[in-house]
Amino acid sequence: MDVSQYLEIFLDETNEHLQNLNTQILSLEQDPENMDTINEIFRAAHSLKGMAGTMGYKRMQTLTHDMENVFSEVRNGNIKVNADMIDVLFQCLDALEEYNTNIRESSDEGTNDNGALIKRLNNIMSGGSDEEGEKASPVSEAPKDSPVQVDSQDSQKFREIKLNENQQNVLKEADRQGKMVYGLTVKVQESCILKAARAFLVFKAIEETSEIIVSDPSSQDIEDEKFDLYFSLIIISEEELDKIVNAAKSVSEIEDVIGGVLNMNDVNSAKEQEEDDAEAPQTAAAQSSVRQEKPANEAPVQAEAPQVQPAVQDQAPAPVSTPAPAAKKPAANKPVVNRTVRVDIEKLDTLMNLVSELIIAKNSLVSASTMSGNSSPAVNEQIEYLESVTTSLHESVMKVRMVPIESTVNKFPRMVRDLQKKLGKKMELYMSGEETELDRTVVDQIGDPLMHLLRNSADHGLESAEVRKERGKPEVGSIFLDAYQDGNNVVIEVRDDGNGIDTKAVKNKAIERGVITPEQGENMSDKEIIDLLFNAGFSTAKVVSDVSGRGVGLDVVKSMIESLSGEVEVKSKLGEGSTWTIRLPLTLAIIQALMVDIGDEKYAISLGSIQTIEDISPSDVKLVQAKEVIQLRDLVIPLVRLSDILDIPSKKNPEDNLVVVIVKKGDKQAGLVVDELIGQQEIVIKSLGKYISKCKIISGATVLGDGEVALILDANTLI
Amino acid sequence: MEELRVVGESTQFIVIKLGDEQYGIDIKYIDNIVRMQHITRVPKVDAYLKGVINLRGEVIPVMSIRIKMGLEPDVETKSSRIIILKLEQQGTIGVIVDEVKEVVTLENENIEKMAYDSKDEKASFLFGVGKCEGGLISLLDLNSVVLESV
Repeated sequence: MDVSQYLEIFLDETNEHLQNLNTQILSLEQDPENMDTINEIFRAAHSLKGMAGTMGYKRMQTLTHDMENVFSEVRNGNIKVNADMIDVLFQCLDALEEYNTNIRESSDEGTNDNGALIKRLNNIMSGGSDEEGEKASPVSEAPKDSPVQVDSQDSQKFREIKLNENQQNVLKEADRQGKMVYGLTVKVQESCILKAARAFLVFKAIEETSEIIVSDPSSQDIEDEKFDLYFSLIIISEEELDKIVNAAKSVSEIEDVIGGVLNMNDVNSAKEQEEDDAEAPQTAAAQSSVRQEKPANEAPVQAEAPQVQPAVQDQAPAPVSTPAPAAKKPAANKPVVNRTVRVDIEKLDTLMNLVSELIIAKNSLVSASTMSGNSSPAVNEQIEYLESVTTSLHESVMKVRMVPIESTVNKFPRMVRDLQKKLGKKMELYMSGEETELDRTVVDQIGDPLMHLLRNSADHGLESAEVRKERGKPEVGSIFLDAYQDGNNVVIEVRDDGNGIDTKAVKNKAIERGVITPEQGENMSDKEIIDLLFNAGFSTAKVVSDVSGRGVGLDVVKSMIESLSGEVEVKSKLGEGSTWTIRLPLTLAIIQALMVDIGDEKYAISLGSIQTIEDISPSDVKLVQAKEVIQLRDLVIPLVRLSDILDIPSKKNPEDNLVVVIVKKGDKQAGLVVDELIGQQEIVIKSLGKYISKCKIISGATVLGDGEVALILDANTLI
Repeated sequence: MEELRVVGESTQFIVIKLGDEQYGIDIKYIDNIVRMQHITRVPKVDAYLKGVINLRGEVIPVMSIRIKMGLEPDVETKSSRIIILKLEQQGTIGVIVDEVKEVVTLENENIEKMAYDSKDEKASFLFGVGKCEGGLISLLDLNSVVLESV
């Protein structure tokens, strides 16, 4: 079977599972006894194995199979988690990562068997019995009514189906008519590729003899293949249960069908529990035999349904069987079904472009109506309405493109753990604000710079345990990664409590390397010296280590962040640590800007970089070192005459007051002299294309309401 | 009416005028031909780059072939046009021409490859000369026309 079309999904999901495994194993290291974690790991390894097998990646399958076996043993309490085992597991993850990379690049898993790893896994295993692994594997069929441990929580899933009032009434009605109400849970073979199609066939087979009342997941989700290996149904039929089960089983690639008679007490029992948790679990939990805590009567009760309780039923869909603590555990193992849709990022880009077009069209409409001069109040009202709609549309589309930075930063704890071993230092990574959201493209690209900074902190920043002890610091160094939103920016901080930046060492190094002259060095502030670190080819590490110190780190960090229209800053105190602050714009596509006139031309300046706008008399302009400056609230701010820089003759009379737009970049400020202010506008940033890349002061262009193109000034380059 | 001949390979060219000379641009590179419109100047770039225009919401750079080839600067007239080219490497770019005349189909046998003369600056922008009823057409080598001068 040709599986190439599933490759992308496979890669995506593999990544997710690997990330999950990484996180879980890390937490297992902290808490080796946690059954939830172990189960989660087992499940992820199991899914990975299944997926790899389906796609025909034998080596990957073998490795995951052995990992799974180890966990099966751990789960059964036959072996204990230890540090050695964690190490091996991490190596396995790396190996899997490698397979995944190979597959991504060449759709082939490569030829590395990782025999050594498998052997180590088997060594760990050697205490346990081989048969265990077999049991855990998905091939083992779960016989009806005597479920194997692994499958038990899944096999009777139909008992967890939530019913709303209508459905309950239908069931009661059927019950009254003497029809049988059955629950079915169907397990699709793990190797099955077209799960939705198989499910459809099962539906069809069942519908021949019975009526399907409800399914879990919903039939829509099943159609969209949004289910794991199981789906459950509640049906009404006059036929024997066995007949229906057999009909469903006859569909190929269906591994098993578990059926059970559902009596009306099941349906309502949950509500009683809801009202009174102390009451014994009802028959709903009865057949989930493993975790059953109290005896419950299994005999099907065909009795009339107990009194209806509308108060609870109103909260449709009311949970039917969750409240019992016994039932909660398996529920935790069940993957949370996300109501999400995977969308190709290209489609989102198209959507964003269309929204941009719409905003341009809206701007045109606004300027057309003001130009014509005879705008009626009705037109204005509609335009205002249109404006609010486009703005919220833009916001929603932007939100769709936003993803939490979690996906990127999640790999860092693992990286720090590895660094710790490699560098022989003790350190701990504390992260906060992983849920902070950023544009998808930014999130994808922010990983590398952050990794550089973390490595930098770990390698250069933190001292060794001995030195830390001497200095009276806790032996374990701390690295913090904090993310938060700040207005229209997202700030990501990488902080460590290490040595801080030794400005003297940096200065000496810079002089030695010829980056600055000794005289220049004399006059430089600490901050300027620290900025030297961002120069290409600069590294103060005395020894080039595996981790950092080749001098290709920080300049890359800086340029990458700048390419995302962000900025990076360092604050450091010798002996106490350093803080690297990355500031990124929330979106790259649409910004609020101030439009200004310079000569005959219109330019846009991003509102984000503007601090204030000042009216300055020409007599207040002073000369310092032959450069024009103004003094503003005790600050000396250099003036930049845009008409000179942009080679446009200014239309203003030299004696008139100057309109100065004060912009800032970090702690630095500059005053941009413009002719006239036009106003604030929402503009759509368009790239000038690579053909015009020489002009550094222009960061892009935008189409104005009248169809003309205005250029966007990059205030950062002017400071 | 010109008869369509199917013998041999042929290429279609759009014939444009720059001054008195006729030039041909391979039709496969042409995305669009638009009337002259306001070009927004971009500061601090090479003189032949006239600026950018708005083409249905896209911002497209526009260059002057005349300045690039060392001819007199463009004089905007009623017949001036901007030809939008789509090139593999440089992407979409507009070039200003004095006039767009017609489309011709040239048999490959009627295209004479240029004997390359490195001294003639103008010639380095051409890849050949085509012969047709309207006379000789200098065929533009777009890649070298558009190529950024270093």
